[in-house]
Amino acid sequence: MSDPLRPNAVRPIRGAALVVLRRDRWALAGALCIALLALLAVGADVLTAITGQDPYTYRIEALDPATGAPAGALGGVSGTHWFGVEPLTGRDLFAIVAHGARTSFLIGLAATAVSVLLGVVLGAAAGYLGGALDRLVTWTADVLLGFPYLVFMIALGAVAPAEVPRPLLLIVVIGFFGWPSMARIVRAQTLTLRARGFVSAARSLGAGPVHVFRHELLPNLWGPIIVVATLSIPGKIGLEAALSFLGVGIPPPTPSWGRTISSAIDWVGTDPMFLVFPGAALFLATWAFNVLGDGLRDALDPRTAR
Amino acid sequence: MTRSRAALALALAGALALTACGANEPPPGASQAQATRGGTLRILLDGQTVNYDPAKSSSLAITSLGLVHRRLTAWHNKPGEPAKVVPDLADVGKTDDGGKTWTFTLQEGLKFSDGTPITAADVKWGVERSFAPAFSGGLGYHKQLIEGGADYRGPFEGAELAGIQTPDDRTIKFTLVRPYGDWPWVVSTPAFAPVPKGKGQEADYSEHPVASGPYQLVEYRKGVEARLTRNPNWSTDVDKVRAGLPDEVVFQLGQDASVISQRLVADSGDDKFAFGASFVSPAQLAQLAGNTSARQRLVTSKSGALAYLAFNTGKAPLDNPKVREAFQYAVDKTSYQIASAGNAELAGDIATTLITEGIAGREKFDLYPTQPAGDPEKAKKLLAEAGFPDGLPELDFVVSKSNNYPDKAQSVQASLARAGIRTTIRTLDSDAYTTETTGDTATFDLTLSSWQPDFPSANANIQPLFASSEIGGGGYNLSRYRNAEVDRLIGEAQATVDPVEAGRKWAELDKRILEDSPVVPLIYTRNSFLRGSKVANLFIADFPAYPNYLQVGVTP
Repeated sequence: MSDPLRPNAVRPIRGAALVVLRRDRWALAGALCIALLALLAVGADVLTAITGQDPYTYRIEALDPATGAPAGALGGVSGTHWFGVEPLTGRDLFAIVAHGARTSFLIGLAATAVSVLLGVVLGAAAGYLGGALDRLVTWTADVLLGFPYLVFMIALGAVAPAEVPRPLLLIVVIGFFGWPSMARIVRAQTLTLRARGFVSAARSLGAGPVHVFRHELLPNLWGPIIVVATLSIPGKIGLEAALSFLGVGIPPPTPSWGRTISSAIDWVGTDPMFLVFPGAALFLATWAFNVLGDGLRDALDPRTAR
Repeated sequence: MTRSRAALALALAGALALTACGANEPPPGASQAQATRGGTLRILLDGQTVNYDPAKSSSLAITSLGLVHRRLTAWHNKPGEPAKVVPDLADVGKTDDGGKTWTFTLQEGLKFSDGTPITAADVKWGVERSFAPAFSGGLGYHKQLIEGGADYRGPFEGAELAGIQTPDDRTIKFTLVRPYGDWPWVVSTPAFAPVPKGKGQEADYSEHPVASGPYQLVEYRKGVEARLTRNPNWSTDVDKVRAGLPDEVVFQLGQDASVISQRLVADSGDDKFAFGASFVSPAQLAQLAGNTSARQRLVTSKSGALAYLAFNTGKAPLDNPKVREAFQYAVDKTSYQIASAGNAELAGDIATTLITEGIAGREKFDLYPTQPAGDPEKAKKLLAEAGFPDGLPELDFVVSKSNNYPDKAQSVQASLARAGIRTTIRTLDSDAYTTETTGDTATFDLTLSSWQPDFPSANANIQPLFASSEIGGGGYNLSRYRNAEVDRLIGEAQATVDPVEAGRKWAELDKRILEDSPVVPLIYTRNSFLRGSKVANLFIADFPAYPNYLQVGVTP
């Protein structure tokens, strides 16, 4: 995804998206998958209420009294516990996965919004205004792209005071480290747009940078922004899961796929289903956003358009 | 004083603990063969280091340090028999003024590994060395007790410690600032190991200590291994508490705890001659349930450290005893057991007293009787009476990341939620956790911890956790519990030399403190260890909940 778009590939976005879904079966599958997971995340409370479960209540009666592992086959899968239960606690695994989807989507989408906002503003400003600002933004983006951000996030997670809400911290930090790739593409696009006639015309009629950005540049930037943003969501969901896996993400008891996967590792020998369900959810989410993003790129990029 | 020793733990081999799980299988732990002299014993550790500097050690009298260093006294440590203080380098001590001065006489014919005789002056030097700021960090029960100890800064600045006299090579006399009945136990702590007079000034003394025990350290590589071979100047003629069976003992360092378990379950090659020094985790215990061979090699203690929920009694709303009493009913101790080890037998019995099982003088009582899963309705009622009919404001619940504490904290959190008590769990790395909970100022509301006495006396159960002198400054009074009456009673009990009389006083204190409910006792934590099939004599006595390293051997 280093160069997803030709700068002059400006097409009506909504139309392109519909064409993608009609023509590209993989992208359609991805979109359906995302819709399904989004439904799971939004309707987590309603869906778990059907069987009277929630991700916090301990249900020791659902455990094997001899070992603390789930009672019954496949990690205790049953009509009441659709995905079985968590070992040692008896908490409903379906509720954990559903509420975990909420966490993942919230962090993934909000962090993407942060990096899109930062990336578009800085990238467009650098490309349009040029000069010292352009050098500063390009240089900062290069530094951040080479920055060992995972190590930094782990360290930050360990030292950040407890008063800072952890989801907010994750959104800001993951979002902050995501802006450079967006800024680079927007900057490159802006550089070519700046030389185009309609932008020069607006400028010569006395339009200021803000006006040019909003009315001339932005409408032509939406294509690449959407593609890059969609393709960066799975990375951010994965990063949240990785940080939770390492114990510096969302604090317990708020469900998080990464943390559940982390504890499931120890149980893989005795209760593999404990790993399978949250693992599959994480796989589906990242896969779905990737294929949808790929499809959108194909549709919006004239080099690959069919 | 590190937290690890508090995580240290009480016990009989796993036989009793596990028979309930399968009556038809041979009881685990019962199949150990008789150990013979010779061979190489391997001990698998998850830590990067193993410390052989007695001044800096908080090791129990029966674990790693005891293989290399002897102390003035030792512990009688056999399953089914109560722990007693027994002679080691010296006899068990005499006092003729009610516990203020104590005289110990060393055995004849004691030698260091380098062949020089062990004298009373060497023991004195070892104790003095533990006062040097460069060698702090070991158990320090003696530091405030020996006369002149409060502002003594070690022998390397030229001064001697006034409270220790050595009239001849075999006599050592301690003068204490106040009568102290448990002094013979205190001299079984690591600082009372001999260090040749004048030696041990270098910071890395722990890597080449002069041995008095059955083994000497011949090779030490941090994160890799520590290799012990026989001390030629030691024999069972002068040491009745160490068997010294293997020819070599190798500590393999820096092993991941779950990898240790998997290696011992697989039981192949050198691992047959190995045992793990770290606890077997709940997930691994569940895995063992279906593995008869490995289950027989699981050794579980009969009892152990007191796991407890501590309140910050210095901060509203938990400064109100009525509010704290509500927690005694709100907590679900069964879910805590399951979160700790998967089932009640492996986790340990439910605790209702502060003094742990196996300690002389312990009386069993329950001031807050309820069912094991708790009584949230009663807790709500008590909170309403205390002026919180709508529950408490959100409480800050800080726990260490080590030892599955975050999982255990979640089980407590869920049980408190049933009574309308909302908490936020904050997990910290163990060092940061220790600073937060033992520092001078504390912002947390709740925390989970566990405590195993450093020597088998109720004194070591109660004083470190509830004396007001242990608040802040690295002390383990995590509840910040301050009660002048309790402080006075602790002083009186400590001054009692007669163990029966002292035991009675401590049992009264146990009740008196719990009436104020500064903590909720949760369970007496059992510890489980795995051994290879060729390891023998690996047993855990009633106290402490750790295998006796001094008796372990291998079979050919």
